[in-house]
Amino acid sequence: MIAGLKHKVAATVACMTAAGVAFADADLDRAMKDPGNWASQAGDEYNQRYSSLDQIKAGNVDKLQVAWTFSTGVLRGHEGSPLVIGDMMYIHSPFPNNVYAVDLNTQQIVWKHTPKQDAAVIAQMCCDTVNRGLAYGDGKVFLQRADSVLEALDAKTGKVVWSATNGDPKLGAVNTNAPHVFGDKVITGISGGEWGVRGYISAYDIKSGKMVWRGYSTGPDNEMLIDPAKTMTWMDGKMQAVGKDSSLQTWQGDQWKIGGGTTWGWYSYDRAENLLYYGTGNPSTWNPTQRPGDNRWSMSIWARNLDTGAVKWVYQMTPHDEWDFDGINEMILADIDVKGQKHKALVHFDRNGFGYTLDRVTGELLVAEKYDPAVNWATHVDMKSGRPQVVAQYSTEQNGPDVNSKGICPAALGTKDQQPAAFHPKTGLFYVPTNHVCMDYEPFEVEYTAGQPYVGATLAMYPAPNSHGGMGNFVAWDAGQGKIVWSKPEQFSVWSGALTTAGDVIFYGTLEGYLKAVSLKDGKELWKFKTPSGIIGNVFTYLHKGKQYVGVYSGIGGWAGIGMAAGLEKDSDGLGAVGGYRDLQKFTNLGGSLTVFAIP
Amino acid sequence: MERGFLGRIAGLALAVTMPLAALAGGDKPLYTVEDGNKVDAATYNGFKVWRAAACDRCHGPNQEGLVGPSLIDSLKVLTRDDFSKVLTEGRMAKGMPAWNTNKKVMENLDDLYAYLKGRSDGAITSAKVKLMK
Repeated sequence: MIAGLKHKVAATVACMTAAGVAFADADLDRAMKDPGNWASQAGDEYNQRYSSLDQIKAGNVDKLQVAWTFSTGVLRGHEGSPLVIGDMMYIHSPFPNNVYAVDLNTQQIVWKHTPKQDAAVIAQMCCDTVNRGLAYGDGKVFLQRADSVLEALDAKTGKVVWSATNGDPKLGAVNTNAPHVFGDKVITGISGGEWGVRGYISAYDIKSGKMVWRGYSTGPDNEMLIDPAKTMTWMDGKMQAVGKDSSLQTWQGDQWKIGGGTTWGWYSYDRAENLLYYGTGNPSTWNPTQRPGDNRWSMSIWARNLDTGAVKWVYQMTPHDEWDFDGINEMILADIDVKGQKHKALVHFDRNGFGYTLDRVTGELLVAEKYDPAVNWATHVDMKSGRPQVVAQYSTEQNGPDVNSKGICPAALGTKDQQPAAFHPKTGLFYVPTNHVCMDYEPFEVEYTAGQPYVGATLAMYPAPNSHGGMGNFVAWDAGQGKIVWSKPEQFSVWSGALTTAGDVIFYGTLEGYLKAVSLKDGKELWKFKTPSGIIGNVFTYLHKGKQYVGVYSGIGGWAGIGMAAGLEKDSDGLGAVGGYRDLQKFTNLGGSLTVFAIP
Repeated sequence: MERGFLGRIAGLALAVTMPLAALAGGDKPLYTVEDGNKVDAATYNGFKVWRAAACDRCHGPNQEGLVGPSLIDSLKVLTRDDFSKVLTEGRMAKGMPAWNTNKKVMENLDDLYAYLKGRSDGAITSAKVKLMK
């Protein structure tokens, strides 16, 4: 298999004039092979967020202390994590997306990059200006700026090597996602589902910055790079060709042109299959009555050929969304036992509250079960059709516009939003940071105007009723059986990406600002430390001069901060924020810093 | 703050018995409200503009403030002119868009102001309002 891949790479090189295409792979490969680096946002191409470093372990994690800290100088939501390659750490910030290269030997800033972006973009990003981090490859650091410009920076000097404009921010097409380097491509998505942006994913050549392909989420087959006869989907209990106009048939008129399906999550890549995996977001608008049909291929899991963008298979999780359950969350690739059979699996924890396990080679649906018992909008996913069985009471379509559908679980921010889960190869389990939040949802008629918000629903969110009163859980999940193994309640949504390590410790951050270490076995809390602000970043680890470090950004914001506030208001409570949000304010404040820990 | 609170109580008490109107300085009331949630046509239009422009994404479903400030508080401080200026020009650095390219907002500033002022005054007691019959 590996030999096959090498042949393929060699063939590609031969076809192109540049001799260095294979080197792009080699540079990042070398960096990723060394477990002392954190060379990509998830630490690997599989989105597993697992580190084989084991100096910090269950037995000594309580001795962790702060080793050093760094301020990004920006007080907004800090998602993603830095990268570490050799002696250099690359640190990013929310808008205006500053980048710092810090020498780990001296902790000096070697270079900084401070992009000049039009402040008007901030409003298009309503409600927070997060950026989920950088990518590395071919001696370059890649920054996906908020204003949609993708920049390649020389990793040694910070100089811009090339830049590409990926969207039109005037139409609401902005970016929050991290770019991802797979092979000789830089992959990036687009945001703006609430502005009626028609979603797409794009591949840029790592050397030149030229766009190699772009695949849309909706519209004509050729623009989605779907082959009606070859692209497969799960129907009637088996994989079948999607057929002609699989998207166009599911929209009224030309609504697909403003149909959403944006792509701002975490992508993954299987080299052996040469397949890129990612998810698409909600259809626009949030008022379902205005866009009859299944609205394909919003809310879907995609497998595309990395070199051509051709879609091998696609699966729609939430046909005709009525709740803003974006399908963009990360696709985690792992070879696991599913109901007694070994599978090259893809595991995905969707906003809609179902944990999906698919065969990532064929696209077959294997498991779809609730990973929070509070989920009530659907009774179950019918495994033959692959469709969720919607409960009428919670259907904002059936209740209609200007009716407030109450008590829907989960809330629009999902049982999990973008905060990525992690996998541990020893247990074969997934460790999932979740929201435990429900909502009232009232859709209303809205008109599309280019470059203006295109939302069409009013929401109120609150902690899941009749539960532990908190707004989050940290869950261990068996994706082979579709069962919760253990669940640790949290007062607030867990909006921080988890890290698993060979030291049998799992790390995650909380909105109050704690970085926590819990036991791989049962989730028991082993250690915690209060950082300067709430944590919505992802935990990462690296080795420097033979010593293991663990780090995380703190800086409250993102939709999590908003979710806190959104929730706690009932009309009878009068005016002003009450309850949980006020509680969160007791614990933390805005911030923007990196805290790095080690055992002294 | 104190006055706002008392005003709200007074508004609630009055709403039960008679329509509440706030004067805009001239003869025409800024808004008229019955039972706390039934409003005149212009104020109702203001509510529809509030929803269409998705102001709640930043200012909260009940104007209580999220990433953006509480408009319950802001409308106690902002003058009518301030209000127009902020909506037209935005406060870019803070994330408030300039709405000058949005016809719906620009052509209905008076109505939007009336609705939000009614909420801020405590006379309109729920964010969702109905058209008075």
